[in-house]
Amino acid sequence: MKLELRGTPEEVMRAVEALEVFGEERGIPPKILFGLTLALEECGSNIVNHALKRDEGKTFTVAFEHTGGQITIELRDRGVEFDPTAGPISDGVADDDEPPGGWGIFLVRKNTDEMNHTRENGENVLRLIKRLEQAD
Amino acid sequence: MPLEIQVLQNMSSQNTGAITLKLIGSLDTATAPQLERELEPVMSRCGKDLMFDLAGLKFISSAGLRVFSIVRKQLKERGGQASFINMQPQITEVFEIIKALPGVGVFASEAEFDSYLAARQKMIQENQ
Repeated sequence: MKLELRGTPEEVMRAVEALEVFGEERGIPPKILFGLTLALEECGSNIVNHALKRDEGKTFTVAFEHTGGQITIELRDRGVEFDPTAGPISDGVADDDEPPGGWGIFLVRKNTDEMNHTRENGENVLRLIKRLEQAD
Repeated sequence: MPLEIQVLQNMSSQNTGAITLKLIGSLDTATAPQLERELEPVMSRCGKDLMFDLAGLKFISSAGLRVFSIVRKQLKERGGQASFINMQPQITEVFEIIKALPGVGVFASEAEFDSYLAARQKMIQENQ
């Protein structure tokens, strides 16, 4: 399944709702599906806010695939180069005066098995993989 | 999924007049600004404590945590805290990030929150 989306938060949530339906139709356990929708929300928000700078005229794509015992989510955009995996790694516990950067990526890492960013032909390509056989 | 926000005045004996916000739906990148807007007038009249009832909250992301983190910081500066009750399990897991921050209180139910307030009140009276 592939969606083309405008650079707005509402469009990120349209992708999240589509992933929910996609996962429910394929019998993905609710806890794993919740984690994947959370990971997609965080990555989609990063694209809209950082790569596309909230420009509604720009678009990004989200594709889901369920093959070989894993779910793959691929996000592509033609915005400025932005690698969310390159930021500081949060330990998942906030400090009193810590700016909240890094929480989103922590949640993505927590809920997926792989997160890879590449730059391909002027596109940011972010792939998230969740292996279902290792699910708890 | 939209976010519904209900602003309620507490009627319980321990916390009469305090404000509770019931959040129903999804607190995410699209709805977090709505909560921020609705919180502005609430923050100006809520005193030092604010309670969020999350029984109806189905989804939260870091965008929602950021709003809660800002609120708890403001309340902490007033000597109070942001309290959260009735969290669903999937919300609890995300909440782990900010759960231990000063100015954040997490309670299983309103009854547990009331017990906490009673104990806090007793401690204040004993110290006077």
